[in-house]
Amino acid sequence: MNSAPATSTDTGWLLGLLQASDALYPTGSYAHSFGLEGMIDAGAVRDRTTLRAFLLNSVLPSLRNVDLPLAAHAWKAFGACDWSAVAEVCVLASALRAPRELRSAAEAIGRQRAELLANVHEYELAREFLRRAGEGSWPHCTAVSAALEARVHGAPLAAVLAAVCYASVAGVIAAATKLLRLGQNAAQSLLTEMVSLCPAMVGPACELPLDEIGWFNPWLDAASARHETANARLFIS
Amino acid sequence: MNALDGHLHLRAVRASDGSTALSTQSFRAPFHLSKPNWDPDAEVLHAQVVNPTAGILEGDLLESSISVDVGAALLVTTPSASRLFRMTEGGHATGRQHFTVACDATLEVFPEPIVPHRGSTYFQETTIDAAEGSTLLFIDQLMPGRLAHGEAWTWDRLVLGLTVRREGELILRERFDQTGASLRSLAEFSGTGVGSCFANIVFLPPTMEIDPSWRAEIAALHRDGVWLGVSRLRQIGWSIRIVSPDPIRLRDTLASLRSTLRLSYPRLGCGLRRP
Repeated sequence: MNSAPATSTDTGWLLGLLQASDALYPTGSYAHSFGLEGMIDAGAVRDRTTLRAFLLNSVLPSLRNVDLPLAAHAWKAFGACDWSAVAEVCVLASALRAPRELRSAAEAIGRQRAELLANVHEYELAREFLRRAGEGSWPHCTAVSAALEARVHGAPLAAVLAAVCYASVAGVIAAATKLLRLGQNAAQSLLTEMVSLCPAMVGPACELPLDEIGWFNPWLDAASARHETANARLFIS
Repeated sequence: MNALDGHLHLRAVRASDGSTALSTQSFRAPFHLSKPNWDPDAEVLHAQVVNPTAGILEGDLLESSISVDVGAALLVTTPSASRLFRMTEGGHATGRQHFTVACDATLEVFPEPIVPHRGSTYFQETTIDAAEGSTLLFIDQLMPGRLAHGEAWTWDRLVLGLTVRREGELILRERFDQTGASLRSLAEFSGTGVGSCFANIVFLPPTMEIDPSWRAEIAALHRDGVWLGVSRLRQIGWSIRIVSPDPIRLRDTLASLRSTLRLSYPRLGCGLRRP
């Protein structure tokens, strides 16, 4: 335990990340289960035990091999004002998601987050990104928008990757509380366990080359594809 | 150890009589090419790539490039599974394959499955460059191991990379990087069992329909324990994932899938059996 007094006043970036992660922030992510509803429909996720297995075997590997390294590359590209590299990450992020629902979810949330930065916070970098993305028809994605948020708020890379982890895991667990018999304490204990595993993923994600980014779960992709045309569903994805 | 550095280069062109012929063919062991067969009904040339060795061994490097010119149609198959044999710690084999499909050309790539044995590691990188107006059906299959010997998920690592571009635009990038143990965990969790086998399919039609007639029919193959999902890729094309509890149901599902697509795309109807 660190008992040193908190003397730093450089907390603006932290407040920015907190706001972006808050349920009040209108990103639209509450409307997505990120494939979980499809896995529940398929009978693979049924309770806390199988939800935990889904988080460990699917959600965390995807974060480690896709979203975190994408965000790291985007963060570096924004920092260098290397717009061609930003464009490359945007296209790659879209191409890495074969199922349309998972791709559309990332695009919709990513676009909304970028627009909030430009329109609510009025950050020039965000406006520039939106202008270039519009002109170049770059697809949006949550990882790139998270990197953009980090840059405009001045957040360090490790902090934004941790925030990406938290938001992703919390998003799936929040959806699970609506889809399964999962109490608040059970949800929080799962969230605590998963978040405890995230710091170890941050370092390797920062080092992963662009051409080694990628991971998919064949069962999740099949379930997500079927969810697209499901007759009844609670979530968009 | 005598590792092989093999290559296969094929170029299919439209002949003056409208058929397809190989204008270029070059190969070195472990690749061998059987005599190509013209299917007059489907109007497709069937090329069967044979590996006359037992399988893929540590240190092997297999490079192939296959291109199909304007108006030509080619089906590439293999007669038997690609077996990945046990390798020493840190050892691996590598495969690189590049497919190019021109406008108004058709390429179907349908090899028999990869069967990774205990202790094998394999890196495969596949690149597909398709032109506007081309048709591509790419089917990659993976078995969990030598099921007949009771061996499954005991391979060390598989890295299967796939890059698909159309008119130079990246439409799909995949990297399947799994240990046998990690995929076993997913199979157990998902309930398809120890014999789970996979097919990863990319279908690029010449023009994009949002809801083609074949989609619902293929989606209906999700049955009897087989997981199947059809989803639209970015820009153009379709991704079809299949997970089957056993190889027989996977084979039957793939046969039904090809039969369905053949109705809309006759050049995908080339018979797999040679006369």
